[in-house]
Amino acid sequence: MLYFIGLGLGDERDVSVRGLEVIKRCERVYLEAYTSVLMGSADPSRLEEFYGRKVIVADREMVESESDAILAGAQEVDVAFLVVGDPYGATTHSDLALRAAELNIPTKTIHNASIMNAVGACGLQLYNFGQTISLVFFTDSWRPDSFYPKVQENAQIGLHTLCLLDIKVKEPTLESLARGKKVYEPPRYMTVNQAVEQLLEVEENRQEKAYTADTIAVGVARLGSDTQLMRAGTLAQLRDVDFGAPLHSLVLVGSRLHLLEADALRQIAVDREALDVVLARDYGITH
Amino acid sequence: MVNFTIDQIRGLMDKVTNVRNMSVIAHVDHGKSTLTDSLVSKAGIISSAKAGEARFTDTRQDEQDRCITIKSTAISMYFELDKDDIGDVKQKTDGNGFLINLIDSPGHVDFSSEVTAALRVTDGALVVVDCIEGVCVQTETVLRQALGERIKPVIIINKVDRALLELQSPKEDLYQSFSRTIESVNVIISTYLDKNLGDLQVYPDKGTVAFGSGLHGWAFTLRQFAKRYSAKFGVDKDKMMARLWGENYFNPKTRKWTTKGTDADGKQLERAFCMFVLDPIFKLFDSIMNFKKEQTTTMLEKLDVQLRSEERELEGKALLKVVMRKFLPAGEALLEMLVIHLPSPVTAQAYRADTLYEGPQDDECAKGIRECDPNGPLMLYVSKMVPTSDKGRFYAFGRVFSGTVRSGLKVRIQGPNYQPGKKEDLFLKSIQRTILMMGRYVEPIEDCPAGNIVGLVGVDQFLLKSGTITTSETAHNMKVMKFSVSPVVQVAVEVKNANDLPKLVEGLKRLSKSDPCVLCFTNESGEHIVAGAGELHLEICLKDLEEDHAQVPIKTGDPVVGYRETIQAESSITALSKSPNKHNRIFMKAQPLTEELSKVIEDGKVGPRDDPKVRARILADEFGWDVTEARKIWCFGPDTTGPNFLVDVTKGVQYLNEIKDSCVAAFQWATKEGVCAEENMRGCRFNILDVALHADAIHRGGGQIIPTCRRVVYAAALTAQPTLMEPVYLVEIQCPDSVIGGIYSVLNRRRGHVFSEEQRPGTPLYNVKAYLPVNESFGFTAFLRSQTGGQAFPQSVFDHWQLMPGTPLEPGNKVYDIVREVRIRKGLAPDVPPLDRYYDKL
Repeated sequence: MLYFIGLGLGDERDVSVRGLEVIKRCERVYLEAYTSVLMGSADPSRLEEFYGRKVIVADREMVESESDAILAGAQEVDVAFLVVGDPYGATTHSDLALRAAELNIPTKTIHNASIMNAVGACGLQLYNFGQTISLVFFTDSWRPDSFYPKVQENAQIGLHTLCLLDIKVKEPTLESLARGKKVYEPPRYMTVNQAVEQLLEVEENRQEKAYTADTIAVGVARLGSDTQLMRAGTLAQLRDVDFGAPLHSLVLVGSRLHLLEADALRQIAVDREALDVVLARDYGITH
Repeated sequence: MVNFTIDQIRGLMDKVTNVRNMSVIAHVDHGKSTLTDSLVSKAGIISSAKAGEARFTDTRQDEQDRCITIKSTAISMYFELDKDDIGDVKQKTDGNGFLINLIDSPGHVDFSSEVTAALRVTDGALVVVDCIEGVCVQTETVLRQALGERIKPVIIINKVDRALLELQSPKEDLYQSFSRTIESVNVIISTYLDKNLGDLQVYPDKGTVAFGSGLHGWAFTLRQFAKRYSAKFGVDKDKMMARLWGENYFNPKTRKWTTKGTDADGKQLERAFCMFVLDPIFKLFDSIMNFKKEQTTTMLEKLDVQLRSEERELEGKALLKVVMRKFLPAGEALLEMLVIHLPSPVTAQAYRADTLYEGPQDDECAKGIRECDPNGPLMLYVSKMVPTSDKGRFYAFGRVFSGTVRSGLKVRIQGPNYQPGKKEDLFLKSIQRTILMMGRYVEPIEDCPAGNIVGLVGVDQFLLKSGTITTSETAHNMKVMKFSVSPVVQVAVEVKNANDLPKLVEGLKRLSKSDPCVLCFTNESGEHIVAGAGELHLEICLKDLEEDHAQVPIKTGDPVVGYRETIQAESSITALSKSPNKHNRIFMKAQPLTEELSKVIEDGKVGPRDDPKVRARILADEFGWDVTEARKIWCFGPDTTGPNFLVDVTKGVQYLNEIKDSCVAAFQWATKEGVCAEENMRGCRFNILDVALHADAIHRGGGQIIPTCRRVVYAAALTAQPTLMEPVYLVEIQCPDSVIGGIYSVLNRRRGHVFSEEQRPGTPLYNVKAYLPVNESFGFTAFLRSQTGGQAFPQSVFDHWQLMPGTPLEPGNKVYDIVREVRIRKGLAPDVPPLDRYYDKL
């Protein structure tokens, strides 16, 4: 049996009780370590200590190219595949599930909190979110802006947009990829500030007003951990707020803002008065 | 020699209409350097401070030992044209003093990259042709290069003394031989003619052809003789020149000019050229060489040649030299020809601007170049690096095309990969010093205006070999030079003593800078590789490396040849590769390009920086492409310029432009290190048929797309009958007929074959042309010499890539063996990877 087990957002202790029970009896335990990282415990030895099992760190290559090793023998023995957040929070792992199915390996999923639902903590209602987008690190020549139409669609019907920010944990350099030989870049995590810069650059180029520097947004850092930080303000304001250590996310607030949502935003405002002005002017919300 | 202070020279540089930048180009051993010497001794400028000690042509020891030029050297000369002749200069001039910057370049094909670098900074060329050997392979190569750079040629037929003394040709035969040589030069000129330049052919009767002997220091154009005779016959000088060439005869009885070779009685008339030009020369030779003292004296009086008393004592060849030098001084004739017929920078840059500059022709830089404006934005092209006495440092040698460069000026240094608006390959620095380069000597100068050749200090750290220096922020690059030779022969080098390794690495860097054509790199198995144009080039490079650049003892392996990978058919299946996360798929097919198309890409006639619409038109009209597909060429490769295409033939795919960059990056490497043996690919077109992409950008970034695109290119190539191409030399051998048998047998043993064998009219020499695989050429020169008693001298120049029969995928043929050999040498698994490593099933 292959178990996909969500680890939640905070540290090793966020795993569910059922998840922990499964891990303890599994033959092999893999930790997927590239789509997200467990903020409280980047070091797998803390996981090992807590679970009492050896944890194999599976980087992108292992999951994508050497999945056979993960699946080996899973028909007979139990294998745990640990994913930070929820196993299906992102689409990436559906391929592993498909391959397991091809090999007649039964799978089971144990869910957990993910940024996709935990972001509700900022006070915005999950019902009011539109399509989720990812922002990737721009390079000199690669500056994809295909997320823009999605934000635009969300904005047209007044929905919020959750922006997941790029992380590069163990990524080969582009040149080494082209040569088929791997040299890794140092890890990088996108900050809210970088994300805002990139968003505004794309808006500057397209000028279609899906959002502006005055759009209200919420920066979220280290959600689910003890040091979590949330700040609401215009994009222009968030550009200069220091959110500290990774991981960061960003929510663009849509125009269909409920009064309660607005109240929640006021509580975490960078500058409450300024926020009130924008809420009144652009969102039609006054006290 | 002319003595000048630096200020005087600097003054000349301002009168840019009176500057001539020219190179001397020719086949090896046709006498460039000797001829240059005779010019320099007449008009070479030395600064007064250096007078007495300077010897300009005295450069490298090995150049003297081997009697060949290896590096090109620049020399400045000053010449005052006779005031009466100023009218003959058909372009704007300012006074009658001219500054001539001459670059003497190597003739051996292996060093023709030096010629390319020289041509870029000059506007005119003196093409030297041996009157006995005639137009040879390298004459053609350099002429073609010159015309490609829009350089105006004038020619000198050299070594006429040999024709007179050794071959004893009669006058009419000599005329015929001259005329044949000129004819063949003109054939080349018209073949490679750039229509924008007008008629560039050379005509003796227009004064663009000189005849002479560099060794004896004499030369003439028909102008000299026309001047003498115009007074006598009372005709205009230009008319007289026309009469002294071609079908023009003078009947001494009737004292009438005619264009018929016979007189009224049917008697043969002597051609005017023979009668008025060759006759006095023949008579002089005859009387002096046969010791007819009295006749000599009368002739000298008639010709108004004054000898000093000690010169009167001379006899034979020595006397001949002195007399000829006084009668027809080479310096006068040639400098006059250069000044009158070669363009000034002002004239030349007006028509060269669009081939020199990559950017739009209406921006300020293009305008500055076209007008050669010293007050325009600075546009300076560095064409090569010259080692300084300070080890490891180089002067950047180049030409100012626009603006004025001076010490301390803040400039943008743009390498060949710079693209406007981006930051790669760009440095913002100040010029440390500007210098005037005169042979081995350098003199600091304050500044240097447009149209002149200059050296820069302090730029070498920022440029590898060549580049553009400008003050304009919007400036595009000056066009990168296209070399006619490519580094096809490589050798691995290592140090004898392991501790010296850092010195070798440093030395390789310096070597790579000092030579425009050499390539130094490290291969996958960690070996240091030096690649050069030919055996001789490599030999010189390795010698320089050992003695100058690294200064440590080195060991070298056997020379090896670089191959090209290509395909022979369309892919038999649609290749498919999936990205590592399986969410992205690329479908592709490969197709071979025609040899002609590969060739025009390599010649730079079709390139990545062309206007895509114009390029698509050419591909459609001349190479039968579908014009809509031709407009969707994503890139060339390898190195963004190579003869392989990545073409988007997809229909209505979303997000495609967001993966373009990743695909282009992957394509560069995939074509640089092909699937069979990690050699460069050549002549392949890869069509992206379809792609399936993840909806979110984060799942189709470079990390996913690059490996996928690389794999699909490999899969497409593997299913398209991959094979190798090997480089083939065109070998030209001049030899007496007695050794031709030996040549055939040597060539046969080395897989070579002769395709042309001609006797040079009027000589016992044969001109043999053959193709020889570069792989078989190592030691060929030495072996041929030993087999023919030293009578056959081959000149090998890279000619084409030859498709090799066989397949690398099945044993039992040469390609398979070579691929294995190369793979093992590179530290790869010996077998070509199987298809399923690159091809994913649906």
